[in-house]
Amino acid sequence: MKTFIIHFLIAFFGSYIYFEYGQPMFPYNAIWAVVVAVFIMFILWLTTPSYHRSYFHKLPKAISFIVYFLKELVVANLKVAYDILTPNYRMKPTVIALPLAASTDMEITLLSGIITLTPGSLSIDVSADRKVLYVHTLYIKHNDLELAKQTIKHGFERRLLQLTR
Amino acid sequence: MLEDINFLLIREIISSVLIIIGVMFMLISTIGLLRFPDFYIRMSAITKGATLGLGLILSGMGIYFNEPDMFLKVVLIIGFTFLTSPVAAHVIGRTAVRNKIPFWDRTNLDEFKDYLHKEHNVHRDHERDNKQV
Amino acid sequence: MSFFSFTLIFAMAALSLCLIMTGIRFAIGPSLPDRITAFDLFVANVIGIVAIYTELTGNEDFIDVAIILSLFGFLGSISFAYYLMKSTR
Repeated sequence: MKTFIIHFLIAFFGSYIYFEYGQPMFPYNAIWAVVVAVFIMFILWLTTPSYHRSYFHKLPKAISFIVYFLKELVVANLKVAYDILTPNYRMKPTVIALPLAASTDMEITLLSGIITLTPGSLSIDVSADRKVLYVHTLYIKHNDLELAKQTIKHGFERRLLQLTR
Repeated sequence: MLEDINFLLIREIISSVLIIIGVMFMLISTIGLLRFPDFYIRMSAITKGATLGLGLILSGMGIYFNEPDMFLKVVLIIGFTFLTSPVAAHVIGRTAVRNKIPFWDRTNLDEFKDYLHKEHNVHRDHERDNKQV
Repeated sequence: MSFFSFTLIFAMAALSLCLIMTGIRFAIGPSLPDRITAFDLFVANVIGIVAIYTELTGNEDFIDVAIILSLFGFLGSISFAYYLMKSTR
């Protein structure tokens, strides 16, 4: 995680400095900037087995996690938009108690932040013994609370724990 | 071949499409802010729509200007909004629960009763303490 | 008038409509957290308007305002919530 942030910052500012102060061989636009940044990250990724072995396997999972998260964001936004624009409410708001497998501070913070950033769900509080996360959700399929919990646990939490552990 | 393409026109088209989609998301979120019946539903549905719309508008602007400086600033703004919006939503939601803002009457609160009971008892303890002092 | 400036002016009008509707929620909001939510959305709308104004006039100085605003809107809503939490206890 720390290595990923450092590499991302190096790639981002490297691409910025290359296009601002160097003599770039491409015309500047957004596509080439992203291509150069991805290229720098790829070079850094190839050097990682010498000092941080697990990062070498984790980066593809991280990319798939980000893509999955963006897809969830757009899909949930469209669902909420449909509910706003049609006259009847389809939603059944529910507060579910989600049992947490994440234990450290950073995992809980990341998980609740990601749950809050998805429309239609809002993480309200963590219980005092840090075992349960209370989540306010709008859409429950077939009134099945266990199914909704399993969806969040298998979708977000499993992928997040694969990255941080 | 490459010189024949009007790059400015292509950038303008991409930028217009992104801005229109972003503005639509923002308009829909604002209509929802007026329409939804309950504070928590508004909170969980609205703020994120606005964040996504803002991201789309800003990236459209970055593509139109096509300069490294502008790209850096746009990525900074998008990063700040995506970092701070869930934290603000979480803090406001928890404050609302502590202040006994009522839920919608169709909300299913079965698993939340223990927490609410405990939380409101804590409140009563505090009020009693204040009276004694 | 090209289609591009038409798009920008349409977006500006739509965001102004958003500001008016958010102001209505700010006025009628039954509780203080509702008003904080409306304030959050207000700041997001103003950032969008600043971005579109920058694109319409081509003056790049205004984008710094949007950076500062995106940080200070967060500080404003957090401090409101903190004040609310302290004042009831």
